[in-house]
Amino acid sequence: MDGQSVQSGPRQVQVVFTTNFPDIELPEGKRQLLVPTDVRRYQLSQILNSESMLDTPAPIPFDFLVNGTFLRTTIDEYLTAHGLSSETTLSLQYVRSLIPPLYEASFEHDDWVSCVDVLSENSSARSWSSSGLVPGSERILSGSYDGLLRVWNKSGQVIATSSSAGAGGHTASIKSARYISSTKVASAGMDRTIRVWKYTESEDHFSGQLKPALELYGHKGYIHSIDVHGPSNLILSASQDDKIGIWTSAVSSAPEAPSSLLPSALTSKRRKLSTSTSTPQRGPLSLISAHTAPVQAVIFNPLDPTVAYSCGQDHTIRTFDLVTSRNVDTRTTSHPLFSIAALPGISTQLIAAGTSARHITLLDPRVSARTTQVMTLRGHTNLVSSIAPDPSSSYGLVSGSHDGTCRIWDLRSTRQGTKEEGGGVVGDAVYVIEREWTKGKKAVGGEGVKVFGVNWDVELGIVSAGEDKRVQINRGRGITEPGNA
Amino acid sequence: NIDPASLLPKLPRPEELKPFPTACSTLFRGHEGRVRSLALDPSGTWLASGGDDGTVRIWEASTGRQLWSSKVGDDEAVDVVRWRPGREAVILSAAAGDDIYLIVPPIQDPETEKKSQDVLDAGFGYATNATQTLTASGIRKEPVARWARPGSRLEEEGVLLKVSVRSTVKVISWHRRGDFFSTVSPTAQRSAVAIHTLSKHLTQIPFRRLPGIPQAVQFHPSRPLFFVATQRTIRSYDLQKQELVKIIQPGARWISSFDVHPGGDNLIVGSYDRRLLWHDLDLSARPYKTLRFHSKAIRAVKFHKGGFPLFADASDDGSLQIFHGKVVGDMMENATIVPVKVLKGHKVRSALGVMDVDWHPKEPWCASAGADGTCRMWM
Ligand SMILES: [Mg+2]
Repeated sequence: MDGQSVQSGPRQVQVVFTTNFPDIELPEGKRQLLVPTDVRRYQLSQILNSESMLDTPAPIPFDFLVNGTFLRTTIDEYLTAHGLSSETTLSLQYVRSLIPPLYEASFEHDDWVSCVDVLSENSSARSWSSSGLVPGSERILSGSYDGLLRVWNKSGQVIATSSSAGAGGHTASIKSARYISSTKVASAGMDRTIRVWKYTESEDHFSGQLKPALELYGHKGYIHSIDVHGPSNLILSASQDDKIGIWTSAVSSAPEAPSSLLPSALTSKRRKLSTSTSTPQRGPLSLISAHTAPVQAVIFNPLDPTVAYSCGQDHTIRTFDLVTSRNVDTRTTSHPLFSIAALPGISTQLIAAGTSARHITLLDPRVSARTTQVMTLRGHTNLVSSIAPDPSSSYGLVSGSHDGTCRIWDLRSTRQGTKEEGGGVVGDAVYVIEREWTKGKKAVGGEGVKVFGVNWDVELGIVSAGEDKRVQINRGRGITEPGNA
Repeated sequence: NIDPASLLPKLPRPEELKPFPTACSTLFRGHEGRVRSLALDPSGTWLASGGDDGTVRIWEASTGRQLWSSKVGDDEAVDVVRWRPGREAVILSAAAGDDIYLIVPPIQDPETEKKSQDVLDAGFGYATNATQTLTASGIRKEPVARWARPGSRLEEEGVLLKVSVRSTVKVISWHRRGDFFSTVSPTAQRSAVAIHTLSKHLTQIPFRRLPGIPQAVQFHPSRPLFFVATQRTIRSYDLQKQELVKIIQPGARWISSFDVHPGGDNLIVGSYDRRLLWHDLDLSARPYKTLRFHSKAIRAVKFHKGGFPLFADASDDGSLQIFHGKVVGDMMENATIVPVKVLKGHKVRSALGVMDVDWHPKEPWCASAGADGTCRMWM
């Protein structure tokens, strides 16, 4: 021995247990405790559940956050990694452990499904509707490569199907569809049009009708995605023609349609047969040329509908002032961007963008924020085609990818990126949802399994659409904010 | 003692040369039998393919979805598909047997479709078919090619023009401005290489005699030069002065394909005898580098044209080899060539592997056509 005394037993550290959830809060006198430094999450969870602490009737698995990041090592390793001594008092914030997103159902289609939206008590379209929903009447809207929209109830029954090409429907595949209200729907896709539909249901709610109300012309390329804002009647579109469209769903205030882009301008015999019915045809309020390559996605800022964010194959994320149609900010990343979502974030607004390079980039779009990248989420093995925020947490999001999976991310679960990853803050998925029928089998080039659209609803869970001609539902409640379950 | 290897310049490691394609991102399945040719359109939106089943197909490049198909070959395979350069019109060319088809696929907006049709129809005013020249002996001379409508079935599908030559067309190569394209019919002897003028519906035979059987042709990316590869040599001609400029001897026994670097001063050549050769046209008639990476024939070689220092080859061994190939402006400095990735996945069928390769116009992504009936996109 070199004269230093060897401690009998493991080192100990003073911890303070805190939580944001009153139902699992410790009595004031029990919150401080001396614990061995070699314990991990599991032992800490056992300590919390014990008779002298929470005295839970059945054990609740807990996760622990130190400084906003999940504890994934022993306390000792954490202290060493952060250059802290064991004299420190460590604040451990505890939350219920994540619940795996269980598979619930699949709704089968005739063709690839490109997009899904949900109408439920908590969805934004519900808040833009004049009347409330009948209990249990949540609806799922799907758009398919067969050019049809379908409205489903929770049990997987089709309540309504949109008109076919000859009867005022889309003349090519649908790429994006959104609820504007409980009675109004917008859709867009490869026929370069946006169509607005009036939706009604029968008294018994077992059948309904999607009636064409408006056709919008102006784009010269596929429309990859749209977003809607009910109160202002505004629709945003992202197109292959490098442009962003601003449109109104109110027929009376919509400008005249550009005649050279109407179906009647088509010269090929084959397509002339499928001319439209008497649905009103209108043009854009504005078409913005800012991107220098196809625009893949555009969204309203959920906190301020006069602001829009877009991303595209020109590698940029752009901010627009919709009042002036001006591109007020541009952030250039290293890869083509295919999907976008706005996350309320921890203390600020964050943008998540899905890349062709198999990761998700998180950044702060505020003009004042000069640091470009906040975090990178890694794990997908193909293009990230869609992103949706967790409706009940500011830390969660779900992404869909051409690799055939949806992945759930918790922004508190991070690590330092490796040298190969280029360093920075990296997040790994907390859960991976496969297409249920594949049983985890991998497909080359995502053949048959690509996920094209994903949505996350408080009531229904994670709803995803794919090349497997299915809408798949996984229970998603309380995954990243267990206290709300 | 000095190790001679230590005196060689150190090549950068592949990881330092990112980005380049590393994995199959999309599979395109639908062809029956071999896919012989493929091409990404100038916007990167659409992938066109043609194969043994006599069909030309167009796919959504990002998803693998088939958008359009037309059977142009009755019994013949579609040997080649190539897009017309430029984004103001969307026109696809394809060849099956001794017919070249010019297509305005119904995948575009009405304005662009109209423009595209106008580009194809402009030449009808010239009526070159009607003016059959008389030879000295007074016998009617058959025109070297016939430009005509291909019939109502194909016209309704968007196949709007048919140019019939005298022998099977294996290669189509467009001039950057989109008014000229050249075709190669290796078995046609005197008329093996033809140059077609779209705006006049005119076909001309630029060379009366060629020293060997033509394999491939390319227009120079910026100057009025034209390259013709026979089995063993590549000749460059000045089209305006109508004279031979240079003879390049790659040392290959049978050239399958070649491509001109977008800068115009370097060539890559692929050969059935498994060699890939890099030529610096300023340096020598002999190759600057000979690369042997494949165990079977190389069928296609292609430079990236959108700003990345990348090139690729496609081989019957079922793989694609991706190279970093950086050309420096300085005449005294040689190009840096580093193999960075082998892309595997295509199955070998009847001793045939990867038949064609093309690059995305902007991104470091490539697409391949396989004898296994699939096309693949690599990102
Ligand atoms: Mg040089």
